[in-house]
Amino acid sequence: MVSYPSLFHRSFFRVLPLLMGLVLAIPQPASAGDVPQQGGSGRSSGHPAHNGPADHPPLEVPEGRECVQPAEWMRRNHMDFLKHNRDMAVREGVRVKDDSLKNCSTCHKSREKFCDRCHAYVAVAPNCFECHDYPK
Amino acid sequence: MTTLDRRAVLGLGGTLAAGVLLAPGVSLLAAPGERTEASASRRWAMLIDINRCTPDCSACLTACRKENNVPLFGEPDRDIHWIRKVELRDKDQRRPTVSLPVLCNHCEHPPCVHVCPTGASFVRKDGIVLVDEHRCIGCRYCMIACPYKARSLVYHETRRSPESNPNVPIRSKGVVEKCTFCVHRLDNGLQPACVEACNSVGGGAMLFGDLNDPHSEIAKRVRTVTSQTIRADLGLKPRVHYQGL
Repeated sequence: MVSYPSLFHRSFFRVLPLLMGLVLAIPQPASAGDVPQQGGSGRSSGHPAHNGPADHPPLEVPEGRECVQPAEWMRRNHMDFLKHNRDMAVREGVRVKDDSLKNCSTCHKSREKFCDRCHAYVAVAPNCFECHDYPK
Repeated sequence: MTTLDRRAVLGLGGTLAAGVLLAPGVSLLAAPGERTEASASRRWAMLIDINRCTPDCSACLTACRKENNVPLFGEPDRDIHWIRKVELRDKDQRRPTVSLPVLCNHCEHPPCVHVCPTGASFVRKDGIVLVDEHRCIGCRYCMIACPYKARSLVYHETRRSPESNPNVPIRSKGVVEKCTFCVHRLDNGLQPACVEACNSVGGGAMLFGDLNDPHSEIAKRVRTVTSQTIRADLGLKPRVHYQGL
């Protein structure tokens, strides 16, 4: 058998990989670099849009600094996120304050200038707001 | 220079894997967030004292319409009523006529839920019977199944008005709706709108609370006074109790 100091053998070498695993696998919170940058300005200023084709209509820039999830993730998954939360709220009574639609409107002040513009562009017609009120 | 034997390397790999497995749990612990959920330990119920309910009072009906954006179309056959006043008359006129509010009884064995073909009608964990209007196809089986006529179909388009309550959605045409025990208020620690109105404007006939909590007012009252449910013979175990019926 090889011999190395018992300190390394016992505690340090056992704990280090555990910590490394934790650091690797814990999802990192969205950093300041992930702040949503709406691609709308791309067309008018001549710069390529950040989040889609160049003729995407300009979207209202949100007021807050950070979304509940990274902006990239929200662009792709907000519909499933909202639908899942909706079912959980209706059927299980799960109400998470941060994930509530009421929390969206703290940053995205205008539904018309944010949600509707993009929905019209991609030709989807979610009917949430036929019955629900977008919080002011 | 130290070297590791085979056993040590395998052990270290295993620990690394354990760390990766544990990580999601650790992050959950780190960020709890504000979250409420319907609890199966609760059993919401209502007790209505008929002696305190006067025929000319409609405080509960008005409050319900206002709170839940229940439209009134002006067509008696198609109007939506989450709660309505029913007059009981004795044919032989030996007993006085009584007026009682009738709403969804939130049965423990709800026939409306059993007949629903899409799973739109369901019982929440805390015993409240609800319609998930996102799934309702408007077949109206539940309306036929309900012995209390507590459900209504939305026959016409409705629109939001500036007076509408923003916390409650309106319902689209062709879905079935009914009393929810003001579930949005309960989840925020408030009483249903009808109970609040009855106790402030009306005669204080309605009492609402958790039957599973032995110290709650309703649990004490149900234990001490004689109360009954409507159509108890059907064995549906309604959660709306009437005193003095």
